[in-house]
Amino acid sequence: MSDESELAFLGEEFLTWLWFRLEADGGEFTIDERHIGVAIDDLLAFAPRDGDETEQTLRKGFPIRAPEARSALRTGHRLRRAKLIVADGEQQWTAIVDGPTLSLSSIKLPEDLEAEATTPRDRSTERISSFLELHDLVRGVYRVFLDDRLREDYAPTSGQAQAQWMATA
Amino acid sequence: MLFRRSGGFSCYYVEGSVPTPPGPEFLEALSEQRFHDIQDAANEQSSIGWVTANDPTGGSFDADAIDFDAGFWLRVRFDKKSLPTQWVAIHRAAAERALARPLNRRERQELVDDLREKLLPRVLPAVKLLDLLYQPRDKRLLMFGCGKSLRDEIHQLFCRTFAGAHLLPADPNYLAQRLGLSRDQNAYLERVAPVRWTSSDGDAGATEPRQPAAIEVGTEQTMESSQ
Repeated sequence: MSDESELAFLGEEFLTWLWFRLEADGGEFTIDERHIGVAIDDLLAFAPRDGDETEQTLRKGFPIRAPEARSALRTGHRLRRAKLIVADGEQQWTAIVDGPTLSLSSIKLPEDLEAEATTPRDRSTERISSFLELHDLVRGVYRVFLDDRLREDYAPTSGQAQAQWMATA
Repeated sequence: MLFRRSGGFSCYYVEGSVPTPPGPEFLEALSEQRFHDIQDAANEQSSIGWVTANDPTGGSFDADAIDFDAGFWLRVRFDKKSLPTQWVAIHRAAAERALARPLNRRERQELVDDLREKLLPRVLPAVKLLDLLYQPRDKRLLMFGCGKSLRDEIHQLFCRTFAGAHLLPADPNYLAQRLGLSRDQNAYLERVAPVRWTSSDGDAGATEPRQPAAIEVGTEQTMESSQ
C-alpha cells in the first residue's frame, strides 16, 4: 500500500480551498443536515512546488495571518497539512489533516464528550462514535470541495476567485 | 478498558467480502488469526495477530468486547523480540577491555551469536497494541497510531483473516470515488490535473492587487494572475 496516490495534489488543493472558503465565506458548511464551522488552528505546512524547495511549516500563534503564510499563497503554494478546528454546536474537535493522504493526526475529541457516560463501556462508546463523527464531517467537507472542484467550469469561476484571493493575500 | 480519546488514524475501505460483525463467523475468523505468544522464543522474531481490548493474550473473542454500537473496536497485537543493542555494546566493551584490543569482524559476529543464544530466551518482546475501528455500514476501517510498515502488516493480517478481502487507503482519489460522485464528476476525476497558482511577473512579494488572467487547461491547469 503506497502512502500517496497520484491524485495526492487534490488533498492539498482541498486544504488550500478550505482556507479560501474560511476567508471568503466564514467556513460554514452544511453536512448531512448539520451546520458546522471549520477554522484553521495553529499549524500550517506548505507543500514545496518542486523538488528544489523545502516544506515550510508554521506553528503556534495565528499562522494564517503570518507574513510567511501570505507570501506562500502569493507564490502559489498549496497547503500540505493544516490543523483544523471543526465545530458542530457545542462540540469541537481539533485534528491535523494531511492533504496527500487525508489521514488525521493529533485529534482531540470534544471536551464534554463523556459528560453523561457513567461506565467505561459508555465512555468508550462515546469516544468511538466521536472519532467516526469527525471523519464523517471531514469527509463531508471534502465532498463539498469536490462538488466545486470537479466542475468543467471550475477554473474560470471558483478557481479564478481563489487565484485572485491568493494573489492578493 | 477505555478506548483512546486522542491520537490519529488512517482510513481504509474494505473491498471484498467480510462476515458481519459481531457474528460467529466474524469472531471465528479473528480467532483463527489470533495472536501467538513469542515470549519463550530463543531467536529474533515477531508475531502479529488479533486480540481484544479485554483480553490482550488473544485467548478469547467475545462479541461484547468488540461491539460498541457505532463501530467495532478491533485490536492487533504486534510483538517483536530482538537482541538488545545496549547489551551487545556492554559485552563487546567488556571483551575488548579483557583482550586490550578491538574485536575483529569474526570475533564480533561470534559474540553476537553467543549473546543471541544466551540472552534471547530471557529477553521479553516489545509489545505494541494497535487499535482499529471497523464500521461495516461504510466498510470503513480506521487504523490508529501506526506508521506505514505497521499498516502494511495489518493489511496483510486483514487479508489472511478475511480471504478475498483487501484494504484500499481513503486517499484523495479513492475517497472521492466512495463519495457518490455523479457520472460527470467521476469522468472529470479521471483527468483532473493540478491547478498551478502562479503570478505572471514572478514577483512573490508584490502586494498590489492583480487581476486573474490566463487559464490554460492541458496536461496541467494554469491559473495566472497578472497586473
